[in-house]
Amino acid sequence: MDHTSGGGMKIIVYLGTGGVGKTSVAAATALAMARQGVKAMVLTTDPSLRLRTALRLEDGLAEQRVPLDGDCPGELWAGLLDVRATLDEAVRLYAKPASVDRILNHQIYGTIANSLSGMQELMAVERIDQLRLRGFDHLVIDTAPSRHAFEILDKPALFADFSSSKKVKLIGRTYRFVERLGLDTIGRNALDIYSRAESILGVNLVRQILDFYSIFYPIAEGYGRRAEHTVAMLRDPAITEFRVVTTPQKAIRDAGFFSDALTERNYSIGALCVNRAWLHPMPDHIPAGLAGEVLDWYRSVSDAHREAVWQLREAYGDRVREIQVFAELEQDVDGVGALERLARQMHVDAPLQAV
Amino acid sequence: MDQQSQIIVLCGKGGVGKTTVSLALGLKEASLGRRVVIVSSHPLAELAISVSLEGLAARSPVAARNLFVVHLDAREMLQEIVEKHFPIPAVARTILNSSIFRNLIEVAPGLKEFYFLARLQQLAERKSTVPGTPDYDVLIWDAPASGHFLTTLRAARAFETFLTGPLAAAGAELDRFFSHSENLKIIPVTSLEEMAITETIEMSESLERDFNLRPEALVLNMVSPLVTARAEDVAALHIDSHSSVALRFAVERGIRERALGEEVRASVDAPQIPIPRIREWKGDLDLLDQVSRWITLPAVA
Repeated sequence: MDHTSGGGMKIIVYLGTGGVGKTSVAAATALAMARQGVKAMVLTTDPSLRLRTALRLEDGLAEQRVPLDGDCPGELWAGLLDVRATLDEAVRLYAKPASVDRILNHQIYGTIANSLSGMQELMAVERIDQLRLRGFDHLVIDTAPSRHAFEILDKPALFADFSSSKKVKLIGRTYRFVERLGLDTIGRNALDIYSRAESILGVNLVRQILDFYSIFYPIAEGYGRRAEHTVAMLRDPAITEFRVVTTPQKAIRDAGFFSDALTERNYSIGALCVNRAWLHPMPDHIPAGLAGEVLDWYRSVSDAHREAVWQLREAYGDRVREIQVFAELEQDVDGVGALERLARQMHVDAPLQAV
Repeated sequence: MDQQSQIIVLCGKGGVGKTTVSLALGLKEASLGRRVVIVSSHPLAELAISVSLEGLAARSPVAARNLFVVHLDAREMLQEIVEKHFPIPAVARTILNSSIFRNLIEVAPGLKEFYFLARLQQLAERKSTVPGTPDYDVLIWDAPASGHFLTTLRAARAFETFLTGPLAAAGAELDRFFSHSENLKIIPVTSLEEMAITETIEMSESLERDFNLRPEALVLNMVSPLVTARAEDVAALHIDSHSSVALRFAVERGIRERALGEEVRASVDAPQIPIPRIREWKGDLDLLDQVSRWITLPAVA
């Protein structure tokens, strides 16, 4: 694809199930990039309180530059992926001034912004575009855990498709027109599918959805165009790399699941990151008593972790660019210092040199 | 109280082992001859479950006969409802293939969650349709991660967005079922890690405040041996700069887990069921077997 359109942009998207430390790995990646001299932004969905504190992310702040100790040639920024804030910003940017309030106060807008599954991913795509316009060129995205992770790839197309559908536009307008004239039945006969949808979802809900889309249309239309552009960047391996974060216990299963799901969508995994591995060397002398029991426990877990990493290398070593293994930190990430310890375990140059 | 329609809900943060604990509990009950249904909605859980249960028939025929795993897929559920409403196949097909319809369904708030709950209720009530001969004895819901779990429960109340049509009636019915706290037996699962504990506390508060649901028990999964050790033995552990890094790491972690266990005890008033991090196992079934030995749910019929 045309490189100028990406403006030298680099995007790393982290995928993974819950509880694997995806947010910490994403933040540490951006930190490692900043240490190498670039202006890097980590976009995160749901950081723990400690990580939030570490990144100086305060409620109500969309993004924040994180102060770093020492002489850092680059910049580290952290942003919360706040669905409502991102969508609100898009409405203010792209809606006709007269309809901004009507959209923001619409019931369907509220439910869509707050409860629609996958909205987070949809908004990640919108946010990438907003950040690109503001000069951020190295983005690390921490996707929401759970089954919705792929909606960052699936939903934008669906949404764009829906909003650009001439029929939706027509139905939205016709409906309001028909309502005003009181020609309920005539309108409905012409809109067969629509009335069938009504018979399942209820008149009220369908009416609300269509009413909402008729005013939301200009934003959705613009969204469709921007999403197309962003999705093209996500599709370009010179710009975007997908990485899967997992833990030793879940490594083989997660690698299989994400590899299949990405392949199905014509993407590939750049790196597999096995996080939270217990790799400390065992002492020669094993003490007696509870200390001995604790050490024995550590050894058995550690052995299982090493075995899992070995199996992963066997199965996926030649199918991904890299398999990274990160040792579990002594404590939850509680400051930039802890992130530094994680970042020191990373080699971030590879995807940057790939261009 | 209607024991028959009770749903055991294993809920909590992603990655704490809800699926493992659900399976272990299900296997234990099934091997005792009770008919068990485990319901999940997560594609990864579905995969994990099918991998984990490989070879069950050979290992435990009784459990294999009595254990059922139901995976509820939102798309299939929607297809079902359309087919039910439009019995002529050609009509149903036209509707299902229409992009307008698909997209309306996709943006209808909470619709998928709504259908999931409807199916869950259906399953729960099937247990009690014929007195004395229930289809199932135990129904376990391997719930999605906390945030989505709460969103799903709220969908039972979202029926006011569906003011007319068949969903409105179904919604009122759902709300009646899911706001009856005796129908749900809540058992949060957590690991003793800061994020998981914070989420468990927040989820429990929200369950009590918004749904009048209180946990029956709290499963502490994958805990260190120090969590179950006697306090004086832990206090007597001597760690200094000469201790090995592995021992220092393991002891520090164990002591932190103990503290988190106390922290959650202060906020979530439910008996704690600690399950140690299993040390060695031969295959998934063996792992589940070992986990199941630690789960004694006095509350389970």
